[in-house]
Amino acid sequence: MTRDPAIVSSGPREAIDGHRLLARAVGFGRALRTAGLAVDLTSEIDFARALGVVDIGDREVVRAAGAAVFTRRRDDRPVYDRVFDRYWRRRSLQPNLEAPGMDQRPEAVPSDEGSPEDAAMAGDERSELPEDRQGIPIPTEGDADDDVAAPDLVTISPDAYSRSETIRHRDFDRMTSQELRDAERLVDLLTPKLELRRTRRYEHHHHGRRLAPRAMFRRNLGTGGEILEWVWRRPVKRPRPLVVLCDISGSMERHSRLLLRFIQALSASSAVRTESFVFGTRLTRVTRLLKDRNRDRALAKVADTVTDWAGGTRIGESFREFNHKWARRTLRTSGVVIVVSDGWDRGDPRLVRLETARLRRNCHRLVWLNPLAGTPGYQPLAAGMRAAYPYIDDFLAAGTVASLERLGEILAGGRAADTRRGSEAAAHVAPSPDAMRTFAPPPKVTRRPGDPFAAQPLG
Amino acid sequence: MTSRRRKAEPVAADKPASIGVMTDALTSTDAIQEAFRGHGYITDRSIATAVFLALKLERPLLLEGEAGVGKTELAKVLASSLGTRLIRLQCYEGLDVNTAVYEWNYPRQMLEIRLLEARGQAEHATAHDIFGPDFLIRRPLLQALEASAEGDPPVLLIDEIDRADEEFEAYLLEILSDFQVTVPEIGTIKADRPPRVILTSNRTREVHDALKRRCLYHWIDYPSAAKEFEIVQARVPAAPETLARAVVGFVHRLREADLTKVPGIAETLDWAAALMALGAAELTPELVDETLGVVLKYEEDIRQVRGETVKTYLSEVAARG
Repeated sequence: MTRDPAIVSSGPREAIDGHRLLARAVGFGRALRTAGLAVDLTSEIDFARALGVVDIGDREVVRAAGAAVFTRRRDDRPVYDRVFDRYWRRRSLQPNLEAPGMDQRPEAVPSDEGSPEDAAMAGDERSELPEDRQGIPIPTEGDADDDVAAPDLVTISPDAYSRSETIRHRDFDRMTSQELRDAERLVDLLTPKLELRRTRRYEHHHHGRRLAPRAMFRRNLGTGGEILEWVWRRPVKRPRPLVVLCDISGSMERHSRLLLRFIQALSASSAVRTESFVFGTRLTRVTRLLKDRNRDRALAKVADTVTDWAGGTRIGESFREFNHKWARRTLRTSGVVIVVSDGWDRGDPRLVRLETARLRRNCHRLVWLNPLAGTPGYQPLAAGMRAAYPYIDDFLAAGTVASLERLGEILAGGRAADTRRGSEAAAHVAPSPDAMRTFAPPPKVTRRPGDPFAAQPLG
Repeated sequence: MTSRRRKAEPVAADKPASIGVMTDALTSTDAIQEAFRGHGYITDRSIATAVFLALKLERPLLLEGEAGVGKTELAKVLASSLGTRLIRLQCYEGLDVNTAVYEWNYPRQMLEIRLLEARGQAEHATAHDIFGPDFLIRRPLLQALEASAEGDPPVLLIDEIDRADEEFEAYLLEILSDFQVTVPEIGTIKADRPPRVILTSNRTREVHDALKRRCLYHWIDYPSAAKEFEIVQARVPAAPETLARAVVGFVHRLREADLTKVPGIAETLDWAAALMALGAAELTPELVDETLGVVLKYEEDIRQVRGETVKTYLSEVAARG
């Protein structure tokens, strides 16, 4: 990166007033915090220290220094850059308040950074916003993420499903106490049944099957190497992490409320790590939103963030996005994926097929909850459902609290042992276009009488 | 070195002579960029600034980025630029204190007890005879602290922290805030000047916020074409300029494509080296098809790109100049 020739190097270091510098750093930290970054006092102090050691005449170095101190993940960076540009430009408008050395900040951003709209937007704001006491611009919510938080302004690109993508917001009423109890009861039923994964960590246990040589040597040192006491160890077991992909398109409208409650209750329980996503025409990660302790507020946030409520469905694209962006980050320890969808899909079934196969390869077990499957005589004939069907480990009904309770048995793993083999074999057959044309309707799901929600072995 | 600490035996016998001198050289962002370039590592100012601050503020530096962008390499280059040792801890699930910090050499202690018995000295032996520094196996974290305590802070690379489990992360948190380890039988080993710690993560999971709070953070992005060309020239000097440009251009085109895993810098370098080994002078569609496995590591991706797409990309790259 080249230096901006307009920037003159700052004067002698001694001229910098430490208190003022600290105030600037804290002010910048506050602006970042308002914009949504997790900034604490330590990082503000670090930033002040950093300003003392780097060349503060160089805008890019100051920017990089702040980024190293304030950002904690990649997604923080665009927010940081926006606040940085705005904050330090605004400061230059008030030369009297400036610390020496800050005076030389250029009025305009160097041309290689920020898009023209960005610059224009910020420029407008400069004249419109009233100067607040500290001279710190308080970014509005829209600044944190322009595309997501300003749904009214979202323009759909031509290749998107513009006809069906109705951007709608959802109002969740307050959770009734009955619903709350239902959701919690469900998770309570579920948690003890979750399938466990053997971790690579061991614990001493007298029923263990492996020797623990370290502990054994240690305990038997006293006898001079005569092994009198045997110590055993066994692997620690943990529930497999869950990833829930929940369809919130129009056809699922009736069910989404209950399902979200369910996912929320699941996320709130500390026993199992849950990542949650909702999808209609696009995939939205809602894990963090649902972590909010206030359940109603959490759901309200989800309602605000998600913009494709009750619209069309693109299962293939949504799965693709999950596979590319999230699978490696969320399924590392071979988690269980639960898809909640009726399989009505407007996209290309071949894509659904390809991406479901990939999804199946990435996880330990793929469970599909379908609200329609509880209907007597149901067969997975919807295009998307038919494409995805061969790769599913467990296919079961969802939609009512009673049927969701069944999920516990599925997640407990035990019973479905033979259903896996069939689908695993299917998952390793590379899907070809020919296979699509001659695709036979999936085998009829046989049901035990009187048990419409039971998990059924596939094919 | 602290006085409280019982003297442990020196760890590094092969201490480089040029400490201090080199350390003083890395006193500015530019100096770091220069020094790294001298070791064949081309960086931009933002990385150099992050490294500089980590050294100056004595904070660990957490590097995240896609696989193959040179996170681990940065730690190695930092060590050689500083003229100090690199101590590396590779993380994995189940990594525990015994493999990360220290462990007693139990078999050797057993033998010692037997020897003492055979010599008839067992009666007079004390705990110190078998729980002394001689019987301590030093693992990377302890090595790094001891070296720092002796006034020669090494570069401690904690590689792929996202692979370790939460238990280890929690332990690391303690080490990274206090820079001290207590071995009950020997005493506390504390580093007055902490080692220079570089942590890397491939983001297969989110590193805990508490750990991030103790670190400076930098996301390493893929470099610009010009930078990457410099990197190829520095690392594969034998590659002719036209070939290097074509390789970099093609890889950059691949990074724009919708692939499962786009190639990193490591793949670019491997590919350039592979093409050199094949004696190629320029990039032809056939040659790309044959060597695509060096750049793309997923079968779907290779199938998607091979053939016509390769030709299209090549002509696009040629057109861009």
